Amino acid sequence: MSLFSTLSVSASGMAAQRARAEVLVENLANADTTRTAEGGPYQRKDVVFETSSTSSPFSSVFQSALDGEASGVAVSQVVTDSRPPERRYMPGHPDADKDGYVAYPRVNPAEDMVDLLGASRGYEANVAAMGAIKDMIQRSIDLLK
Amino acid sequence: MLDGVAGNLEQYMTLLADRQKLVAANIANADTPGYKTRDIDFQTEFRNALDGAPPNVTEVQGLTVKNDGNNVSLDREARLLAENDLRFNIATNLLRGQIRTLKLAIDGGGSSSS
Repeated sequence: MSLFSTLSVSASGMAAQRARAEVLVENLANADTTRTAEGGPYQRKDVVFETSSTSSPFSSVFQSALDGEASGVAVSQVVTDSRPPERRYMPGHPDADKDGYVAYPRVNPAEDMVDLLGASRGYEANVAAMGAIKDMIQRSIDLLK
Repeated sequence: MLDGVAGNLEQYMTLLADRQKLVAANIANADTPGYKTRDIDFQTEFRNALDGAPPNVTEVQGLTVKNDGNNVSLDREARLLAENDLRFNIATNLLRGQIRTLKLAIDGGGSSSS
């Protein structure tokens, strides 16, 4: 049944947007982090999306004409922003170098907030699609009554 | 008697479900770089579906391409999502009517309450 595999497509969209939101929130939370396990200030991260095939538990039995196609979405990689850190003059800071500068992450909160809004809207669009598909499945089931 | 109209309605619903899958895929890939909106020509493909041919998926032309090569328009997909949903609603209601007629015939003209 094609409609059930369509639910997986919307679910993959929701999962991808959620992963994107998680990374963006991590950026915002670490906007002032000067110390990380790898050493140096926190580096801004971003996700890259790619199309991927989704599978439904029954796809092998009830295959539709479109089931084989890559129609879902997945996070292919998380890339690190390569922009150099921002140097602020704070001589009293424990992470200051010998000239008194502290390396801060190059995180622009406005940029991440706008991206976060995009992720949120994208998530909502996938939820709406899932709702519509669920209605269609429910109406098919109601034919049995 | 269920074969004629109900068979066509079934094809109609199957095609709507396939199209809804494409719409869901377009929405899921609204932020995927390089992704192009995919759709089917519903009228043509419905005629083909009645002959038993699988739907032919094409890339939609004439949409604004964003900087990352993606051309998904969420407004267009929202409209199609609603349209497919409503068309499916019509089809299920018509099919229900067909089934009800058949039940009426089985029950011998309506002495039963259902």
